Amino acid sequence: MGEPGASGALERLSERTGEEFSNLRAARELAAAKQPDYEAQLAELNHDGDSSIVLFGSWARRELTDHSDEDWLILVDGTQRKVVAPSVDEVELVLGVGERKPGRQGTFGVQAFCNDIAEKVGLDHDDNTNLTHRVLLMLESVPLTGHDIHRACWERILDGYLQEVRRDERPPRFFLNDLVRYWRTICVDFVGKQREADEKWGTRNAKLRASRKVLFAGGLLPILQCFRYNRAAMREFLVDQLSAPATDRLAYAFLEWDIPDPGARFFDAYDRWIGLLNDPEVRAELKAVNSTNADDSTAFREVQGIGRDLDRGLLALLFDTDLEATSRQYGIF
Amino acid sequence: MTDHRGDWTQLVEEALGISSFAIELSALSERELPSLIEFLSRERRLPFRYISVHAPSKGMTMPEPELIRLLAELPRWIDAIVVHPDVIKDSENYAPLGRRLVIENMDDRKGDGRDASELARYFDALPQAGLCFDIAHVASIDETMARGDEILDSFTSRLRHVHLSSLDPDSHHVPLSPRDAERFSPLLDRCRDVPWILEAPPPNG
Repeated sequence: MGEPGASGALERLSERTGEEFSNLRAARELAAAKQPDYEAQLAELNHDGDSSIVLFGSWARRELTDHSDEDWLILVDGTQRKVVAPSVDEVELVLGVGERKPGRQGTFGVQAFCNDIAEKVGLDHDDNTNLTHRVLLMLESVPLTGHDIHRACWERILDGYLQEVRRDERPPRFFLNDLVRYWRTICVDFVGKQREADEKWGTRNAKLRASRKVLFAGGLLPILQCFRYNRAAMREFLVDQLSAPATDRLAYAFLEWDIPDPGARFFDAYDRWIGLLNDPEVRAELKAVNSTNADDSTAFREVQGIGRDLDRGLLALLFDTDLEATSRQYGIF
Repeated sequence: MTDHRGDWTQLVEEALGISSFAIELSALSERELPSLIEFLSRERRLPFRYISVHAPSKGMTMPEPELIRLLAELPRWIDAIVVHPDVIKDSENYAPLGRRLVIENMDDRKGDGRDASELARYFDALPQAGLCFDIAHVASIDETMARGDEILDSFTSRLRHVHLSSLDPDSHHVPLSPRDAERFSPLLDRCRDVPWILEAPPPNG
């Protein structure tokens, strides 16, 4: 395409506006510094020829703090089988140790099979876990081993979405619907979890307002911007976009649609969020917050403000630029 | 919008008639502040997405720490507290207002806080404070509006909201004139993500 792609867009926005985004910068540097050590340790494990160890979440978004969880999968480019090398037990000795353990839902810290992820789309066999694996593989995943395996599965999912594109210069609606489905699912599941038990209500709520919203928007914006391309160029554009962290994709959009000032304010807010995540006292306070005492928490109110700032930036991007017609046409129905 | 000054219920109703997005309740004279505080303390939350209070800038007799104590006790759902820099005696006193403190750039009648260089010392002293960008005040000090760009360049991420109007020859806020709408447009383009507070009725309203 010749024009600068998504990779490095946050840095370009920083240069254009003079804003430093120091917490985000530090988080990226931390991820880059720690990853080679994990890669070296995991490379020692015996691998089947079709397996890859993949990290998700703040690792893949390059938003790593000293307190980040480690959500990982053993991704297999094939059909389900019982025995896979490396085993979950072997990987657990390296990733997700102690407080970095993946969540208890069993979504991560397990094996996942690309045939399920890429082929079981929609209908009853596409359960929450499968949907989560598919969308997060697309939006925020980084391989620590088996890079080619990860890439092959990643492209297979993308091509599955694009296979349904019938016309040039339209956002890929199948991909859009799966993404929106995922976002609405995690929002609905938040209430489901709240009704089961109020544990971690504050942390989950805060993440929905910030990290997960950025994750969703980091998928939504590339998909909507596909209206500018024919089918072949659309694939090239999405490969470029989705290979970069979500924050780069959003910075790209703020620059591309020529609203760098709102972009700077959006990332200033997100930078404050990353700063809060790095503060053990704030994390503890958010963990203790529930739906009845939230108004009394300074940290939670700060996150609410950050969430509103993020909303304002995204709404300006979607509805106060030349993206507006596409956002209106595809954003709701 | 000053016909019902002090009648906070009526003022809120009038504002709702224009937009439920944002409101600024102004206690420009210090004597208006107690009734505003009383009104806000009665309300659970006003039906706007963004709620600002303009702190007094005239008729000030209260010791500064006492004024700030009252402002700091405004309900938590108040998003912004606008302060004129020329009334600030000791910046440190304002630190308890945290991110809710929003400093407004001044017009040509004031001797301070008019442009980026004059605002810088306030923001240096109050790192959490935001900017209220009064675009008509910029026009009063610089026909070219270049100093508006300097303010937005210098304090990009501090911008919280905009004050929008034209000024009459006596520097009163009046409805936005077509000429100002045109010359303000490039600066307003830079502010499209933040609330715009109309400091006079809309031109057609």
